[in-house]
Amino acid sequence: MFRAGKLSVAVMALLALGGGFLGVSAAAASQPLAQPQAAVTGETYVIGTDTTFAPFEYRKDGELTGIDMDLIRGIAKSQGFTVEIKSLGFDAALQALQSNQVDGVIAGMSITDERELIFDFSDPYFDSGVQMAVAEDNTEITGYSDLAGETVVAKRGSEGETFANSIKDEYDFTVKALADSATMYDDVKAGNSVAVFDDYPVLAYGINQNNGLKSVTEKEQGSSYGFAVNKGQNPELLAAFNTGLADLKDNGEYQAILDTYLEQPAPAAASGFFGLLSDSMPALMKGLGLTLLATGLSILIALVLGVLFGFFTVSESRVLRGIASVYVSIFRGTPLLVQAFFFYFGLPQLTGQSIDVLTAGVLTLSLNAGAYMTEIVRGGIQSVDPGQTEAGRSLGLGYVTTMRRVVLPQAVKIMTPSFINQFVMTLKDTSLLAVIGFAELTYQGQQIYAANFRTGETLLIVAALYFIVINLLTMLSNKLDKRFNK
Amino acid sequence: MSKISVKGLRKSFGSNEVLKGLDVEITEGEVVCVIGPSGSGKSTFLRCLNKLDELSAGTVIVDGFNLSDKTVDLNEVRQHIGMVFQHFNLFPHMTVLQNIMLAPTELKRESKADARATALKLLDRVGLADKATARPAQLSGGQKQRVAIARSLAVNPDIMLFDEATSALDPEMVGEVLQVIRDLAAEGMTMVVVTHEMGFAREVADRVIFMADGVIVEEGTPAQLFGNPQQERTQDFLSKVL
Repeated sequence: MFRAGKLSVAVMALLALGGGFLGVSAAAASQPLAQPQAAVTGETYVIGTDTTFAPFEYRKDGELTGIDMDLIRGIAKSQGFTVEIKSLGFDAALQALQSNQVDGVIAGMSITDERELIFDFSDPYFDSGVQMAVAEDNTEITGYSDLAGETVVAKRGSEGETFANSIKDEYDFTVKALADSATMYDDVKAGNSVAVFDDYPVLAYGINQNNGLKSVTEKEQGSSYGFAVNKGQNPELLAAFNTGLADLKDNGEYQAILDTYLEQPAPAAASGFFGLLSDSMPALMKGLGLTLLATGLSILIALVLGVLFGFFTVSESRVLRGIASVYVSIFRGTPLLVQAFFFYFGLPQLTGQSIDVLTAGVLTLSLNAGAYMTEIVRGGIQSVDPGQTEAGRSLGLGYVTTMRRVVLPQAVKIMTPSFINQFVMTLKDTSLLAVIGFAELTYQGQQIYAANFRTGETLLIVAALYFIVINLLTMLSNKLDKRFNK
Repeated sequence: MSKISVKGLRKSFGSNEVLKGLDVEITEGEVVCVIGPSGSGKSTFLRCLNKLDELSAGTVIVDGFNLSDKTVDLNEVRQHIGMVFQHFNLFPHMTVLQNIMLAPTELKRESKADARATALKLLDRVGLADKATARPAQLSGGQKQRVAIARSLAVNPDIMLFDEATSALDPEMVGEVLQVIRDLAAEGMTMVVVTHEMGFAREVADRVIFMADGVIVEEGTPAQLFGNPQQERTQDFLSKVL
């Protein structure tokens, strides 16, 4: 795959720049290659990959499987090292490699000149290409010449898009770009586009999974896929990969892996909606658990931050008010998504300390929600009649006692509905953490439809789960509010 | 000896000078009523006596504490001075009893049981013994103000400040509140009462101060001030309100 989305390029450029300043990525690039066998034996390497790029990586019954997965595991076995696979998403995996959060990336990644500037690639392990497919019941389009006046779809930044653009003038059609395979296939089935240009192994696998399409052209020869390490890092791992790949090719295991996924894939039986529901439930429940965990932790920390900074905003000290105001403007004034990228990818580059995805996610959400909580607390305190404070102080009660016994009990009552609102917002915001590979509910849903191409039904189930949980929690919160804030 | 001694008191809010140099001496047990048109600085003067408002210049010595001294413990001073507000400022999330018990228990002056007994006694004194468990929202304006007075008395102050305590009340409720203040006066409490009730001032006050535009225009016994005002400004004001 040749995905080089604008996002990843921009982020990589930014991170490379930042890393360059701090000398993080300026590690010795010309380290001599160590003896692969000896160097990697017994080691454990963290390997980043895409969330789903079937048939190279996808989840089957909750387990990561696919050509890339079988290959890296086979090579690890033959070379005597162990791998810990992290399913991050393509952009995220590359950023993680840049920031040394992972040791290597195998994600159906095309070897390009641009990428060779920042990564070291293994020998190519797969030759890809682009193929065109149309809806199963479409009998009109049988070749490029039937596309005149029509719209086709291709993956943004992919080889398929490049190829489609290269012939669109000749055959007079329009190219539309979308982000991933599953949505492209849905676009064709929905009739918004008449054909899709996609990587042939992906397309072949999808068709065998009853994605409702059929291929109508031969494969156009394309680029090669390679395994990557960060420039100058882990040379022994790269060497071991090449040795292991050669071994697997020699003993026939390599061909057996390809055949499993491309030549005779077992056509998946299309199960009904309830089949999908019961199949996807274990993974979705796991995701929901992580969603609730991240929400709970974030809200608790945000509450502490909100109360602390909220008091700062009403304090008499100009310095404390300033600190609170800077904090609030930073976290309210930047998008949550950028904050998540910063904490997961940027911070490790600046500090040299890697950070796990739950910590980064909770850090992002709690700091973000904390800023909103600060405003809620400030608003709550300021909405209490100043006469209340005056009455407390005139009785000889100190500032703290007056706050604690007189102002806060009234402020909390005013703030509670806003707190509940923020709680729901934060719960929904956890879905954004899917982009850094946090395996919460939305992420699990993406995994499922990327493998089975049943986007609409899967998203419906995911949305229903959010809806049920949020409404149950809201009802519970309102009940508690009524009970304690009479 | 002076219970309250004010010398050269000035108070500005930004560029607006509200008090333009006041000198007042109030002796123990004296009841002083402060009258004057709105905006004359009466309430600000009162709020300077327990430093709810900062002083801009001058000295205020209350009960031996110099309020102009930054190191003075205001919380300590304020326990000697009760204050009653125009809008009652009862704590709406507490019962009447809890309102009264809050300061004595938080200040560790009394055990909970003692504070409760004191509070009930005070409620009885203001005629509201049956309202101990009521919430402020369930009370009439006059009842609220009587609770507020009981709350101030719970820390056993030497001085009571009343800031237009009856201005927010319906006419039929003014009497019950004034009666409580009258009783306090009879018991010898030192009081500064900012009021629009001229009849009450005439009846209860030992001395009446007439303020206008941030200065004390005239002061004297009720008989002198109401019966024979010397200043034109006083005569003008009284002719409008009497």
